[in-house]
Amino acid sequence: MARPHIEPYVELNEDFKKFDQLGTTGSHYKILSLDVDTGACTLKVRYNAGFSRPPGMSYSDCEIFVLNGLMTVGDTTCVAGHYFFIPAGVATGAINVPQGCEALVMYNDSEPSFIESDTNHPLANTEGFISVNSYEDMPWGGGSIVSPSVATGCMIKILRYDPLSEAISFLYCMAPKFMQDNISYHDCAEESYHIWGTSWMMQFGELPTGGYFWRPPYINHGSFRCELGTLAFGRTDSKLHNYFHFNPWSNVDENILRAGAHLYRQRPDMFKWVASDGHNHPHGPDDFQNPGYNHPHEH
Amino acid sequence: MTKKVQDEAPARSAEAQAWIDENVAEQQVRYEGIVKEMDELAPTRAKWYEEFLHIVQTKGFSADGDRRVVIKPENVPQKPDRPDRVVF
Ligand SMILES: [Fe+2]
Repeated sequence: MARPHIEPYVELNEDFKKFDQLGTTGSHYKILSLDVDTGACTLKVRYNAGFSRPPGMSYSDCEIFVLNGLMTVGDTTCVAGHYFFIPAGVATGAINVPQGCEALVMYNDSEPSFIESDTNHPLANTEGFISVNSYEDMPWGGGSIVSPSVATGCMIKILRYDPLSEAISFLYCMAPKFMQDNISYHDCAEESYHIWGTSWMMQFGELPTGGYFWRPPYINHGSFRCELGTLAFGRTDSKLHNYFHFNPWSNVDENILRAGAHLYRQRPDMFKWVASDGHNHPHGPDDFQNPGYNHPHEH
Repeated sequence: MTKKVQDEAPARSAEAQAWIDENVAEQQVRYEGIVKEMDELAPTRAKWYEEFLHIVQTKGFSADGDRRVVIKPENVPQKPDRPDRVVF
């Protein structure tokens, strides 16, 4: 069942647990979300002063976002805002944390794993490696990276873009008094961690500093408000399209049908090819926001 | 299909499985807590829905970026006869 819908979850009130296995001795962790089948997870990790790990690799793609403190990875010094995408099999240098450091650590394919090694695995996708300080080395861009787009006042820095799945990892912020009066959902899972600030969504209320969500596809969220500003780290696991609407009561099944109707209208031949195998909507699925548009057949 | 590093991962150890099992169980408890908390928010949320449906009929619905579309009363959705659910 993959990862459950964890929203809203405020981690600051929860205790860290000791990490004494899987190559992470000397650190503590909290689970933000965990795939019950694969073990893929998003963790908040506290590296204690003196933490040290030899050079090595994981069998999973791994992302790290440094929240505070300082860590050195090989000869790279990483402070708050540093982002890594470390493809599976890419060996990073030794990690040292002289005085303590907290980071979001994400394993995308399986549970945390670590193999001591100073060379890359022969199959490693080395060109996928990213290391950047998102606070200092990148400018903010407008949030309208897709159409239809978010309202002005939500800005973004894209840290990683997967050209095949269009999954993105990004830093985003909402300006004080940001508002957007629609309900959204996506085909992708969406994840966020509030580094600082509080924002509001109509379903879940206020999400403060330390607030987190992992939201599976097709779940309503919004309208949106942010009173004083928010800085957050976010990810999707595949292409993000904003299905905006104004029906607060639509459920996941109706939202999927409406997404199918969208595909039917915009890429009818692809829709027919996909639908020809299995349960068939030859005239397109129901779209609650545009009833009758697709001449849906009776069930 | 190109072979990936992930395909060569050794079988999951008993230790790793125990770590997953322990944390899945704790996550389930957190999930149930979230569902309860969100159920308790229902009366407040109902008011928020009402305010939202008022805004989309007056100031307008955010259709794309800053473009707003005012929704006519006959196009405003009615609450269906089923429990409202926000956590899935
Ligand atoms: Fe979203």
